[in-house]
Amino acid sequence: MRNKKGIKFYLVLYLAKMSRIALKIVGRDATYFPGKLAVTLCPDFLGRIEKPKTIIGVTGTNGKTTVCNMIEDTLRENGYDFIDNHLGSNINSGLASTLIEGANLKGKQKKELAVFEIDERSAVKVYPYITPTYLVCTNLFRDSLRRNAHTEFISQMLNDYIPKQTKLILNGDDLIVSNLAKENARVYFGIDKLPTDTDKCENIVCDMVSCPVCGGKLAYDFVRYNHIGRAHCTKCDFCSPKIDYEVNHIDLENMKMQLRNGESYDLINNNIINIYNMLATIAVLKEMGLSQEKINQSLRKQKIVDTRFSKEKVGNIEVITHLSKGMNPIACSRVFDYVRKEKGNKAVFILLDDLHDAAHSSENIAWQYDTDYEFLNDESIKQILIAGARYLDGIVRLQMAGIPKEKIVAKREELSLVESLQLEGIEKVFILHDLYAISLKNKIKQQVVEKIKGEEAK
Amino acid sequence: MSLETKMKSTLDLNLEDFCEWKNQEKQENTFHKPEKEIIIESLFPEYCGYFGDGQNMKYLQKCIPEATFINTPLEDIPYFAEHDVDLLYMGTMTEHTQERVIQKLLAYQERIKQMIEKGVHFLLTGNSIEIFSQYIEKEKGEKIPGLGIFPIYAKRDMMHRHNSLFVGKYEDIQIVGFRSQFTFAYGENAHCYFAKVEKGIGLNPQSTLEGIKMNNCIATYLLGPICILNPDFTRKLLQELGIEKPTLAFEEDVEKAYKQRLKEFENL
Repeated sequence: MRNKKGIKFYLVLYLAKMSRIALKIVGRDATYFPGKLAVTLCPDFLGRIEKPKTIIGVTGTNGKTTVCNMIEDTLRENGYDFIDNHLGSNINSGLASTLIEGANLKGKQKKELAVFEIDERSAVKVYPYITPTYLVCTNLFRDSLRRNAHTEFISQMLNDYIPKQTKLILNGDDLIVSNLAKENARVYFGIDKLPTDTDKCENIVCDMVSCPVCGGKLAYDFVRYNHIGRAHCTKCDFCSPKIDYEVNHIDLENMKMQLRNGESYDLINNNIINIYNMLATIAVLKEMGLSQEKINQSLRKQKIVDTRFSKEKVGNIEVITHLSKGMNPIACSRVFDYVRKEKGNKAVFILLDDLHDAAHSSENIAWQYDTDYEFLNDESIKQILIAGARYLDGIVRLQMAGIPKEKIVAKREELSLVESLQLEGIEKVFILHDLYAISLKNKIKQQVVEKIKGEEAK
Repeated sequence: MSLETKMKSTLDLNLEDFCEWKNQEKQENTFHKPEKEIIIESLFPEYCGYFGDGQNMKYLQKCIPEATFINTPLEDIPYFAEHDVDLLYMGTMTEHTQERVIQKLLAYQERIKQMIEKGVHFLLTGNSIEIFSQYIEKEKGEKIPGLGIFPIYAKRDMMHRHNSLFVGKYEDIQIVGFRSQFTFAYGENAHCYFAKVEKGIGLNPQSTLEGIKMNNCIATYLLGPICILNPDFTRKLLQELGIEKPTLAFEEDVEKAYKQRLKEFENL
């Protein structure tokens, strides 16, 4: 939807720009309010404001931020100048704020390229006004049941609103994603069968059981996790798509991956979710014309931001923090799977409660029962320390997963957990935390580090 | 189909992750062994276990490991069609799946009515209540006929999701739970409601009566692991299934979590 500018548009643009200046003066980011003001006063503001010529959109349930960070870092290092919403929100107001900042007083964009992280639930408010040149979809999983309901709801919304002109860069190993907007031009990225793949789903949740064409039962050729894998219909000719950007070899020892076309890339992290994130980044940048050499030269210097993943060796023990989004069953299950598969004896802190609900309401804990806490029932995990408003629910959920009660420490006060940490024989301490618990995670990490140093000094 | 055949056919489908059809090792439990074998059928768990609903039956398995649990995939003939069951369970599903499940169960409409009249226990959670309703009305007025067993109908609005907490009284038991749905139900449930609302909403925001209870058939919009969240309710259910003095799995911890939640909900 493209609308003419008009006097109202310019008034709103100036007002939003002034609000941005005012917020900056008082030390605020101004990444949300100016856009919120604009779309409130002028609901089709996103349609009226000029957009950069090329827009890379990144959507999906998990990995959006990481993929955007990788794309932006690579583009920046290769001399591209662009606007992005990495500091702000990924809904219509955040995009409007970015476009307002990037526009001159005539409403024209100063840069020709944009990288936008786009919330998948906001499709209805974004795509009528913004047509991404490329739209990466990382994956579609169950997320907050309160906001996103289920994948069928989200994929239908994307199907209804993704503009026909947009070229899609899709995860071909995700049968929900690979069936989005079938009329659009597309390329797929994926990872060929790995030795760790199985022939049946180990997870509680698999949201792709039947054929989207005929409703017949799907047979999985291999399952990586949840509905990620390759499958075919037992009744019609529906099957996983042919992959354009396919990894056919992963060498974790040397931290490299190879694509079927012979290109090799350095891995920046050994977690499968981040290998998918890298692959999504490579696919879209290759579509834009960047060479393997340019992409890899930049990617190899990157790392996952500390707020999402960090690793520090303290004496003989590694302290690892890992973002594990609460209310997001698959994100948490992926992290739990990663923890259990890491070598060595481990102690695991779990800080996943919704802090807003803890302060103002009572969290709907149904998501915990879609999450594979069962992965934490592993011989190598010697102690699980769980805290927060829902600590009593945590004890029950962990026992439902078969974890012996003697392995569990559960407390209401998060900062009192570390005193119960038992370090004897432990090689790795994991601190798994929600997106909004960064400060809490930092405090606990500090306590853990001090405890390790204290015990080693004895 | 015999139970043995049924077990085998389910295993052959290679859907173990959903239809974990583990023929539970019969554990001797002298405290609550019932007079007769308890058979619990979970309908279509590969599609109808959204938002933790599937864990209700897993919890019952931990409470009564001696019972037989049957998980019936959507493409199979339900076990209840040809055999007696003590409890029939169905949980939350997507809107598209609702239509498939209605189509599937229409063939057993009379059998289901007879079972309810006979006093067989049903537990229907989340939007599975709508399968048994008169119809589900979509946004543009199109109506999807239900099984026509409950005297209610549902109106769907996919652009507005209702989320709320719930406290209500079911007989002398305080029930706690969560609502998260695209629909509200309407109709008359004054003589067949499940719980009186104390906090939250009933069939719709104007209603103070939640869900349906017809004989031993309980249908509630509450979703998630309600058997884990409500130990008193689960104990009563097990007693009604013939277990004289039921012991719940992780009873002490489940009780503590329940009391904390009830207190929180009441203070909101």
